[in-house]
Amino acid sequence: MNEEEKNPAIKIENVNIRYGDNRVLNDVSIDVPKNSIYAFIGPSGCGKTTMIRSINRMNDFVAGFKLTGRVLLNGTDIYTDKKPQVLRKKIGMVFQQPNPLPVSIMQNMILPLTEHYRGAISHFRELAEQKLKACALYGEVKDKLDKPAFELSGGQQQRLCIARALMLEPSVILFDEPCSALDPISTHTIEDLLIELKKERTIIIVTHNMEQARRVSDYTAFFYNGVIAEAGQTNKLFFTPETELLEKYITGKFS
Amino acid sequence: MRHKNHLIGDFAGHTYAWASIGLAVAVCLFIIGNVAYLGADIISLEFLTQPPPANTRITTEGGILTPMIGTIILTLLGILIALPISLSTALYLTWYTKKGIIKTIIESSVDVLAGVPTVVIGLFAQAVFTQPWLGFLSTRIHIEGGLGKAFGRSFFVAGIAMAIMILPFITKAIIESIKTTPKEFPEGSFALGATKWRTVTKIVLNSARPGIVTGVVLGMGRIISDTAIVWLALGGSLRMPGAQPWYEPQNWISTLQHTGSTLTTYIFFTSPAGEGSNPILAFGAAFVLIVIIIVLNAAVAAIGLIGANKVQK
Ligand SMILES: Nc1ncnc2c1ncn2[C@@H]1O[C@H](COP(=O)(O)OP(=O)(O)OP(=O)(O)O)[C@@H](O)[C@H]1O
Ligand SMILES: [Mg+2]
Repeated sequence: MNEEEKNPAIKIENVNIRYGDNRVLNDVSIDVPKNSIYAFIGPSGCGKTTMIRSINRMNDFVAGFKLTGRVLLNGTDIYTDKKPQVLRKKIGMVFQQPNPLPVSIMQNMILPLTEHYRGAISHFRELAEQKLKACALYGEVKDKLDKPAFELSGGQQQRLCIARALMLEPSVILFDEPCSALDPISTHTIEDLLIELKKERTIIIVTHNMEQARRVSDYTAFFYNGVIAEAGQTNKLFFTPETELLEKYITGKFS
Repeated sequence: MRHKNHLIGDFAGHTYAWASIGLAVAVCLFIIGNVAYLGADIISLEFLTQPPPANTRITTEGGILTPMIGTIILTLLGILIALPISLSTALYLTWYTKKGIIKTIIESSVDVLAGVPTVVIGLFAQAVFTQPWLGFLSTRIHIEGGLGKAFGRSFFVAGIAMAIMILPFITKAIIESIKTTPKEFPEGSFALGATKWRTVTKIVLNSARPGIVTGVVLGMGRIISDTAIVWLALGGSLRMPGAQPWYEPQNWISTLQHTGSTLTTYIFFTSPAGEGSNPILAFGAAFVLIVIIIVLNAAVAAIGLIGANKVQK
């Protein structure tokens, strides 16, 4: 066990989740080390989205949602705080469908800041440009920053959403199938971006793309029927899977 | 063969749809045209800018100024009172409460209220606003011996009754609109750390704007065309009987505390069915009423559009 693995950024401890009477996750435990990319894989409906959304309490509004066990961010239980919005500044999230708000590109960027902090708009704009550069988007949009965000392509919108999430300097970013609506080139751009981002942040990504999990992630958890069937370093999981289930899944022989 | 039947069915369907639309438009145009034809002669600057004479039975002198202003005042009052209540009710039911007894009670009350005839709402307003302690909303009647009573008829009282009447319709239109909001917007907002309150008031209400506009237009139409509440809660004076001159700002409150009329009651009053026998006045007023409805609809739609464009930028 190396230094990072001893002090995980996110620690999921014996988590059980149900929606009403529907038990979705059973006894899930995962340690996500700092500055790593952790991939959640597994067949449809096995609970990946449910798990990742529970890490920044996006399920709090869902009727019937019940979580037992603990989710820790740097050692503190995220569910003890009464105000989930404070947590969501520290843990950002990017969704499957790019979700820019129906305002301009620049307004999308500075909205999170004006929401939480007082300060000069010019300073916010400067910061926004810096984040757009970090997401390799600035060059493509610098002449239309005040145009509606909806005029961007899907891939550009998704990079905008990532850049927007960066505005609050979250230490963890959650991605739920961020590339599933994108073409291969946009997908590659985003994968490069993820690897760049992990230098300063911790990343969790849900993906159905085995190649993507292999390319970008350091660790992988294989979800199956609401439990973790196998988890560990990505190299180990993909080259020497312990369970027959995982082997079948990654080679596409799953039925 | 099947293919051909299909085409015939398609053709019949299209014809039927177009015929129905044509009929609806024709009826609408016929009514407007007829009213315009019968009422246009009387319409003049004087008709629009003079209050009615004290007695409409004898002469066709004077105009419809005060009933027209009455319609506008009641519409504004009704919307101003109902809209904030409708907005908070709709938000509460969609975002702030889970399934349960309270939600069911509120929802059924809204449904029931939608079905209550306006004459009953007017009657209820009469009963409530004649209470002496609510006298500030209308005028106080002093009786020898000290026991007072409120008159219970005024623009304030009628405005409140109108608000009660349109409350369920506006609320329902807003709820429907909120329900069709794509969940990506609020989720995106939450994920950026916005509070529920900020998300609901900024993002959700913004995308529910079409529903709010629809609700307001619907409510305005209902207020403008209502007669029963006006009759029972506003009274029957064709002029403004409050402090004079009624249109000067320092007398506005007094005007609102007093009785009045609207275009609908003016039409009733001057029609052969009412107390007058000057149908030409009724048709003139009816024409103005239709024009006001068209203009209001257009204006509210334009406000909605301007707002939407502003957000797009
Ligand atoms: N809001 C909800 N209310 C009730 N049940 C839900 C809700 N969301 C998900 N579920 C149930 O939880 C289970 C897991 O769903 P989840 O979306 O987490 O799966 P997933 O692994 O992300 O699937 P996919 O790969 O298709 O995205 C499913 O059985 C689903 O029906
Ligand atoms: Mg999912």
